[in-house]
Amino acid sequence: MSEIISQSGLRQLVADRIAAGTIVSGPTQVKPKLVLYAVLGSPDDLLLEGFVRPDNSIKECVFPKQEELYGYRIQGNNIELTDGLTNDDLTNDDAPVPKQLVVAARPCDAAALPILDHIFNWDFKDEFYNRRRAATTVVTLACDSHGENCFCTSVGLHPAAERGSDAMLFELGDGSYEVRCITDKGRALFDGKTEESDKVGRADAGPEKKFDPETVRAFVDQHFEDPFWSQHALTCVGCGVCAFTCPTCHCFDIVDAGPSAGNARYRTWDSCQFPMFTAHASGHNPRAGQPSRQRQRILHKFSIYPNKFGEILCTGCGNCTRNCPEGIGVLTVATEIDHG
Amino acid sequence: MDNANANANVYKPDLMEVVSVRQQTPDVKSLSLRFIDPERARSFSFQVGQFGIFSAFGYGESTFNICSSSNWKDRIEFCFRKVGRVTEALWKTEEHDVVGFRGPYGNGYPMDVWKGHDLVFLGGGIAMPPIRCAVWYALENRADYGEITIVYGARSVADLVYVDELDEWAKHERVRVVRCVDPGGETPDWKGEIGFVPHVFERAQVQSKDPVVLVIGPPIMIKNTLPILDKMGVTPASVYTSIENRMKCGIGKCGRCNVGPIYICKDGPVLTMEQLQQLPADY
Ligand SMILES: Cc1cc2nc3c(=O)[nH]c(=O)nc-3n(C[C@H](O)[C@H](O)[C@H](O)COP(=O)(O)OP(=O)(O)OC[C@H]3O[C@@H](n4cnc5c(N)ncnc54)[C@H](O)[C@@H]3O)c2cc1C
Ligand code: SF4
Ligand code: SF4
Ligand code: FES
Repeated sequence: MSEIISQSGLRQLVADRIAAGTIVSGPTQVKPKLVLYAVLGSPDDLLLEGFVRPDNSIKECVFPKQEELYGYRIQGNNIELTDGLTNDDLTNDDAPVPKQLVVAARPCDAAALPILDHIFNWDFKDEFYNRRRAATTVVTLACDSHGENCFCTSVGLHPAAERGSDAMLFELGDGSYEVRCITDKGRALFDGKTEESDKVGRADAGPEKKFDPETVRAFVDQHFEDPFWSQHALTCVGCGVCAFTCPTCHCFDIVDAGPSAGNARYRTWDSCQFPMFTAHASGHNPRAGQPSRQRQRILHKFSIYPNKFGEILCTGCGNCTRNCPEGIGVLTVATEIDHG
Repeated sequence: MDNANANANVYKPDLMEVVSVRQQTPDVKSLSLRFIDPERARSFSFQVGQFGIFSAFGYGESTFNICSSSNWKDRIEFCFRKVGRVTEALWKTEEHDVVGFRGPYGNGYPMDVWKGHDLVFLGGGIAMPPIRCAVWYALENRADYGEITIVYGARSVADLVYVDELDEWAKHERVRVVRCVDPGGETPDWKGEIGFVPHVFERAQVQSKDPVVLVIGPPIMIKNTLPILDKMGVTPASVYTSIENRMKCGIGKCGRCNVGPIYICKDGPVLTMEQLQQLPADY
């Protein structure tokens, strides 16, 4: 037996959550040819078919692009630390965290969350991330197709992978979905919303394996100084789109908004692809050119992170290659390494 | 790890009052700070060699070594060169102003492991602050350490920091202080050596059995020092440095300070040459 929900039932569930004050995000057509995960104003904004995956990721639900860490007041030479200025800020330890629901996430997005849990919790605990994460329910829609840049199967995932999801939806082909609840959060969300059925949903078989991550790891570990990086990354323009649209890239900066913005300190997304990321005050920059920055991205994802936390820092979503103006990204580089 | 409250905002700084300001050189100042919260002042402790993330409110945060001794319970000090946004703002702070502090972070010097050894400190330019804390600590625990040699140089006489303390250290028994400036950086009344730190150190003919060496300075200085230490029979495991990869969070999250498999803010900034030689040249 299985549990199913109709598409209208799913949209009704979204409408109910929005009405209850939950911040609901899901794939939306923001303009022709551009689908992004975004906060849904209405259940009709939710796009459920006709695209491979959104061009951004759900990490922004737990790790926003810009997040207030605390505010402060400057009076003469006295400083007073304050809570944040924005309404949804988490700077006050006791502030309620807004409930969030992500609908129709892709498995390669959901899987990124448990991978990110490591970095935000080893040693020091990042409660901004943890509190948003605890308040978020992820409902994943198994993929019914894959694009040319998808490579989840090369990094241990697949179109029906459950990792990081609270519930999974599988298309039944008749406008309804099979619902498989994985966690208590998922069960609570769908409680009383589904019907019993004998239909079983299916997912796409996924892309063929495109490279072996072990080969990539061995190569980056042994080819720190290597012409390969210039040959394959000289065209990189350093825009950082790869990192910003990546579900697992998590580098950040800490900056002051300054008096004109009301005095608060924020963390903002950052990227190892930017020249200033590693520039020392002396002017020395250990990663002086774009090839060394590309090397760092591959090194971090396939060697540093797995060595430290036991997992590859990549879910094979393909966004970094899909969105790169130069067609670089992990898929291109890793396949060159494996097939080179 | 200083994270007693499980829900604590790990990015929120402590507030510290500026107790005194000293201009060290035309572009270097040092600040002495005390915690405004008396409870924090009582509970705070650190190890020499650790660093803090200091903030100028309205401008941002920057990373500096704590350059005071961990035995000084009433204050912490740091010393900075004016190079950019935050340091320009810190430059303008005066007594009784308030700055932010997060820390202490990083590993610090293994002062216990160094016990029983002669100590050699080699520093260039703004590298004096992270050496200074270890020198004071060793002098305050004098019986624990052998002969102490300090070779400190800067581009010019005007660029030397903590000059009065160099004189003070030299008065201690079994302490030798060698000062130098780069050729051309001397003044007519300069009484110290002329030359680069590695050469001056070689000329100083330090006779030491199995010393621990702390060398901090620009990469070229460190590079030219290593062969000399090698000739003296000092192994890379006994040579320490403190590296300055750009940092933001200081707590192993923001990804900025990676060198190969390690996060310098957590596993550094103090590394032995042996450890450093195993890392990719990403620092
Ligand atoms: C562990 C550690 C310990 C340290 N200890 C000390 C210490 O004890 N004393 C000390 O003086 N320093 C120390 N440093 C270095 C110190 O952190 C930096 O000097 C400081 O962060 C500079 O901050 P800033 O905001 O003033 O400079 P920034 O404004 O960040 O500028 C730094 C440098 O980058 C350049 N720059 C800035 N923006 C750009 C741009 N857009 N394009 C090109 N160049 C740019 C500036 O000209 C300047 O040279 C330490 C660093 C580390 C990691
Ligand atoms: S790899 Fe592509 S997306 Fe990433 S910084 Fe370079 S040009 Fe931009
Ligand atoms: S590295 Fe590229 S393919 Fe891997 S998770 Fe990030 S954006 Fe997706
Ligand atoms: S400074 Fe942020 S990870 Fe080390």
